[in-house]
Amino acid sequence: MKSFITTLRIKTFLVLLSGIALLWSCKSENQPKIVDFNKAVTGEVRAVLTDAPMVPPRIEAKHNTKVIVELEVIEQTMRLADGVDYTFWTFGGKVPGKFIRVRQGDLVEFHLHNHPDNMLPHNIDLHAVTGPGGGAEASLIAPGKSAQFSFRALNQGLYVYHCATAPVGMHIANGMYGLILVEPLEGFPPVDHEFYVMQSEFYTTGKFGEKGHQDFDMQKALDERPDYVVINGAVGASAGENAMTVKVGETVRLYLGNGGPNLISSFHVIGEIFDKVYVEGGTLINHDVQTTLIPAGGSAIAEFRCDVPGTLHLVDHSIFRSFNKGALAQIKVVGDENHNVFTGKEKEEVYLPEGSSIQRISSGKQSAAAEVIPEKNLQERLAAGKTLYNQNCMACHMDHGKGIAGTFPPLVNSDYLQALPDKGIGVILNGLQGEILVNGNKYNNIMPAVSLSDDQVASILTYIFNEFENGGGLIKASEVRDWRDKK
Amino acid sequence: MLLLSFVTISLSSQNRGMVLIPSGSYKPFIKGQADQLKVEHFWMDEKAVTNAEFLDFVKANPKWSRAQVKRLFADQDYLSHWRTDFVDQNNSQQGNAPVVNVSWFAANAYCTWQGKRLPTLSEWEYAASALPQGSKDSSSLQEIIANWYSRRSQVENDAAAFYKSEFGLWDMYGKVWEWVYDFNSVQYNEDSRNMEESPEGLFCGSASLNANDASDYATFIRYAFRGSLKGDFTVRKLGFRCAKTIENQQ
Repeated sequence: MKSFITTLRIKTFLVLLSGIALLWSCKSENQPKIVDFNKAVTGEVRAVLTDAPMVPPRIEAKHNTKVIVELEVIEQTMRLADGVDYTFWTFGGKVPGKFIRVRQGDLVEFHLHNHPDNMLPHNIDLHAVTGPGGGAEASLIAPGKSAQFSFRALNQGLYVYHCATAPVGMHIANGMYGLILVEPLEGFPPVDHEFYVMQSEFYTTGKFGEKGHQDFDMQKALDERPDYVVINGAVGASAGENAMTVKVGETVRLYLGNGGPNLISSFHVIGEIFDKVYVEGGTLINHDVQTTLIPAGGSAIAEFRCDVPGTLHLVDHSIFRSFNKGALAQIKVVGDENHNVFTGKEKEEVYLPEGSSIQRISSGKQSAAAEVIPEKNLQERLAAGKTLYNQNCMACHMDHGKGIAGTFPPLVNSDYLQALPDKGIGVILNGLQGEILVNGNKYNNIMPAVSLSDDQVASILTYIFNEFENGGGLIKASEVRDWRDKK
Repeated sequence: MLLLSFVTISLSSQNRGMVLIPSGSYKPFIKGQADQLKVEHFWMDEKAVTNAEFLDFVKANPKWSRAQVKRLFADQDYLSHWRTDFVDQNNSQQGNAPVVNVSWFAANAYCTWQGKRLPTLSEWEYAASALPQGSKDSSSLQEIIANWYSRRSQVENDAAAFYKSEFGLWDMYGKVWEWVYDFNSVQYNEDSRNMEESPEGLFCGSASLNANDASDYATFIRYAFRGSLKGDFTVRKLGFRCAKTIENQQ
């Protein structure tokens, strides 16, 4: 009897204790809210949908409402890289698909339309849906048909949506994914800029940069060996002229997604630290993060404040994907320097330890130098040179050959380049190290030798001489060949 | 012996424009069926039914015209690419292109009117498995399919323009999808990843993917397409051709 009472007391104590724990945990800011889905919503709004890198405005209503989403599936041929086309299957005409923004507790009335010119049936699986297949079963439609279904946004978070029609992998590999944000009813804390950034891979029959229309390569997809890893659907889609722009002192929130279909992204912004990351797009918040993982079919939300001017590079830090396969986007931060945060280069001196020598960037065991290609005219050289420059040179020498002061010498109106008797052929083929003087500024860095064909070298240099104010002229592949022969 | 009787049959004028598909077997896509499915010999149209041919049918059977067709049998896009109810297109090239935007009911009625029928799914799959003439390598067929899937097809093309198979059939792949009689006999699940619950275990997505076989992958799409259809549906890239049973088998 006594022992029974003791047990009872202990039980009571435990119940009390757990009650306290429950009360305490309710105070935690990360405690998920529960939606009363039996409570009706009031009014309705039509969702504003946006293409990357733009994010729709948040819905202003103070109460939960019905949100009508109209999304159209369009199969169309578009640019994957300069000179490279691909027939994408899209949600809304672009890759990634339209950004959808609703609030926790909202009722979403979803309309999926399959354009009559399309060849294939499609559907949609939204990870934000609680229900069979995330809506996939309810939305399978033949070309020329529409489907409608409704769901209640029960959980807060940033969710991937994608097509789930057989063969699922191929539908995703061809571009059928996007993000849907379910934000708290009261919204996230305000920031100055919000951007939509989504990584994904493409598996093409041709190698990276190979010209013309590229078809989907199923074997490469099975082997998980993409030729393209891109941010926002194409090489350079949100870089260079298309870069996102903010001012010094402003805050940025990135809605990050990864469409896959296969790779996990080690997402990193060169030159920034994430002050805050909503881990995997959920309610868990981490602080002071350098690189955050974005699973295939998953997301993350990252926030930071831009304290100094410059260009931020958004990369997958599985870094060959960024510098050789296209996974690079940029945010340009404009405004005044703040030397209390970053000084720029204060001092520079020669440091040559043992074993430092020029590395080679090789595209294969044998250089393509021997390949016989007919000489191109000026127009052809300029067109080919632009793409080759963007692929091989721009990461360091920057857009329009501007270079980076003190680190990468400019190519625009370069006295150094113009004075070279071989017009720079040697620099590309052999690389360059040691101190040089360019337009009055000293540079001391190492440029790797780039393994390109005679034809490609001629095109790049013709492009640099004509487009970057270096006096013009047409450099022939035969000149490059002669240079090689002399060696 | 069999071959001789085929020759006799093929000389019959009522089967003009059709080719004889010899008996044989093909590897079915669906797991759990036999390794090889046997298909009896039959006649098949050598090319897809064209706009011009379908126009003759509509003129002879006005109840199948755009204005008179029952909504139950064809949705509102039925023959929507035609200029008017009784004019298919304004140039001969398009007249020779495969008719599209036809429902299963309309396709079935056309074949019946011709004294024919729609091919069964098995017949169609078996007939389509024949390689392009002169090709010994199955990858040539896979290439045609893959290119078709990854580029937009041109339905304006002539119905017989692209490739002719060893069976003498034009363009089974590469131009338009084609109705089959029992298009809905495979209970395709709307969510293609649903494996345990698919009825009768007919559909197994990952099995096909794991098969690591390009032609299987292509087949997957074809089955998914059929699974998205209903009998009254019309689609801008979906046509048909007819088949005929060989009645007099000596």
